[in-house]
Amino acid sequence: MWKEIGHRESGKLRPNSFINRIRSNRSSSLQLSNHKEIVSSHRGSINSLQVDLTEGRYLLSGASDASLAIYDIQRATEYEAGGLIAKHKPILVDKQHQNGHKYAISTAIWYPVDTGLFVTGSYDHHIKVWDTNTTQVVMDFKMPGKVYRTAMSSLATSHMLIAAATEDVQVRLCDMASGAFAHTLSGHRDGVMAVEWSNSSEWILMTGGCDGAIRFWDIRRAGCFSVLDQSHSQLGRRPPLADPSTTKVSTPKARAPHRKVGSGSSSKHSGNSKILKHAKGSANKRLHPGLLTSQDRATAHYGAVLGLKATEDGMYLLSAGSDSRLRLWDIQSGCNTLVHYEIVRLQSSKAIQLAVTQDSGIVFLPCMTSVKAFDVWSGKNRMTLQGHYENVNCCCYSTHDQELYTGGNDRQILIWSPHKLISDDVDNCDRRTEQPSAVDEDNWSD
Amino acid sequence: MEASNNCSTSRKRSRDEDDSVPESHQSLPLEDNLIFSDTMVALRMMRAQFPRNDKVTAEPFVLQSQLYSSVKDRTQVDRELEALRREKVLRVFKLNTGQDDHALMFMEDYLKQMKRAVKSMETKKQGVLAVFEWFEVHVIGSKPEPSIGHQELCSLLSIGGKVKDEDISLLINAGLLTRQLIDSEMYWFVIPNIGSVLKGLTQGRKELLSLLNRKKYKEMMLSILEKKRLRLSPLDIRFHLRDLLGSGHLKAIQTPSGLVIRAVKN
Repeated sequence: MWKEIGHRESGKLRPNSFINRIRSNRSSSLQLSNHKEIVSSHRGSINSLQVDLTEGRYLLSGASDASLAIYDIQRATEYEAGGLIAKHKPILVDKQHQNGHKYAISTAIWYPVDTGLFVTGSYDHHIKVWDTNTTQVVMDFKMPGKVYRTAMSSLATSHMLIAAATEDVQVRLCDMASGAFAHTLSGHRDGVMAVEWSNSSEWILMTGGCDGAIRFWDIRRAGCFSVLDQSHSQLGRRPPLADPSTTKVSTPKARAPHRKVGSGSSSKHSGNSKILKHAKGSANKRLHPGLLTSQDRATAHYGAVLGLKATEDGMYLLSAGSDSRLRLWDIQSGCNTLVHYEIVRLQSSKAIQLAVTQDSGIVFLPCMTSVKAFDVWSGKNRMTLQGHYENVNCCCYSTHDQELYTGGNDRQILIWSPHKLISDDVDNCDRRTEQPSAVDEDNWSD
Repeated sequence: MEASNNCSTSRKRSRDEDDSVPESHQSLPLEDNLIFSDTMVALRMMRAQFPRNDKVTAEPFVLQSQLYSSVKDRTQVDRELEALRREKVLRVFKLNTGQDDHALMFMEDYLKQMKRAVKSMETKKQGVLAVFEWFEVHVIGSKPEPSIGHQELCSLLSIGGKVKDEDISLLINAGLLTRQLIDSEMYWFVIPNIGSVLKGLTQGRKELLSLLNRKKYKEMMLSILEKKRLRLSPLDIRFHLRDLLGSGHLKAIQTPSGLVIRAVKN
């Protein structure tokens, strides 16, 4: 460690690689934190966790008993065991609020610009926008079905749209500026469980449905422009440049000129338009070019898509399905990279929240009662984080401190942090307070 | 590859054999058949060890989970299978015996099995039916995926001649295509006449898992387990062991006195 700092000082090691090396070392040695704890006051299973995007300081959690809580994860509210264990109590808990949700909260996300607002979606068909400081509901949107997930784009500069995934087949975009619905995106054939905005463009939305399909939407146009198909695969990270064995069409007619033609999806679309021409008996009226993909029945998973997560660089997408598979997709080519993550079983009734480290090295997936950390590129299981008593629903990775927060059906939020030696703190504590060693102290000794 | 089924051949030894074979380059197509990849070696070995007795009349097929139990790197297995599938050396079939079960069959075995089914169908209908030939030539020849849409099937079959709806019913009755509950518009390719083998597969899995779960510590020595015979399944125990090890329901632990197989909870 000191040697590396010396190298960085002299210029032998670039600062970026120094930072990345330390970060990846810390994130590959995560264990149940021995110096930090969150006192969870929820009485229901925790469905959603998110650390705010601006400071990385506040953790927002939503639970099944319609309660919300915000925790300050950088400043502890009190210390126990003589300063060794920091306990974080919730700043704001909201259960019997007169405008609060009536049923379980399935998703709670921060407004990407600052922590003054947050958005929650619940099984009572409502999406509410709250003001953090006054804890009042500022806006309320009524949905036709249970809300599974909401998402807001962190890159958006020209719109303030909340994408809502519900049990209805249409994805709705709610506009926070006007209080009305902006768009409806149709194409899925069953409820939509996962929704994510792209990390490379503020106009691209990715949704995963209970029918197993993952669709890419450009919200400025009608219809989705890409459906991921698990049988379109590429061997390795980059698609081969000149592949003579697979048939490709240069530019299908039903495509807007500005979009780059991806190899996998283009052949699928050309296949579709050819079939439409050949069909003799079936009544096929001429469809709007944007709606051609509604006839595309390709599936990304053999079951429902439970969770989506795009990597920070915006190049890859990870999707977890109820067929107990986690797939890595190359977004630009639309192909399955065939990385196999060793999973035995995933819970198949609820949506799960995945987390990826910033350098896209490790993906954290809640598998039943444990969280498994896989290496993104090789699929090997690096660590299994076992700590919850019941199924884990959500996990959130904080890049600032390399900590993982997980919440599950056992109503607990656990913190997993890199190893920190307690013995140094014990010595420090003795010198400062001149009290008997804190490690021996327990709650009932006098 | 010897066809003799040696009961003393353990999985551990077979894995060492696999790892010692040099790997082929992934970017080159498999034109150079002299160098086998790990997956190819495992496939050929398991095909040779497929139980052939009077109760099992099907051509040999390998389950994808069995490959995972022999070759360590699953991503490599997936990618090599994809390359083999594109080269039309083998076909992948999705089975309905459980979550994400896939059967792999070499092309020549599948065509043999298909001809047997077609012949029995034709003797029943008393006449040579052209649709089977169109199916073999046009559909199998050009579609390596495990499923096909209705429109595409009709368009491919009509390259051979005029297609009627009864022809598709003939294909389904012969056992070459089926529909699954996931999607009513898609047809899935299946291996004809393996219903009894699949039944044996599910029952054998259940029997083996219950055998281990009944034990006090849910584990048993591999050397003893290998010699057992399953009552409900015509397939041998090594087939089931490989399949369950690969799908994660069983775990193999190295102990000082040999390999121990343990049933995994949840």
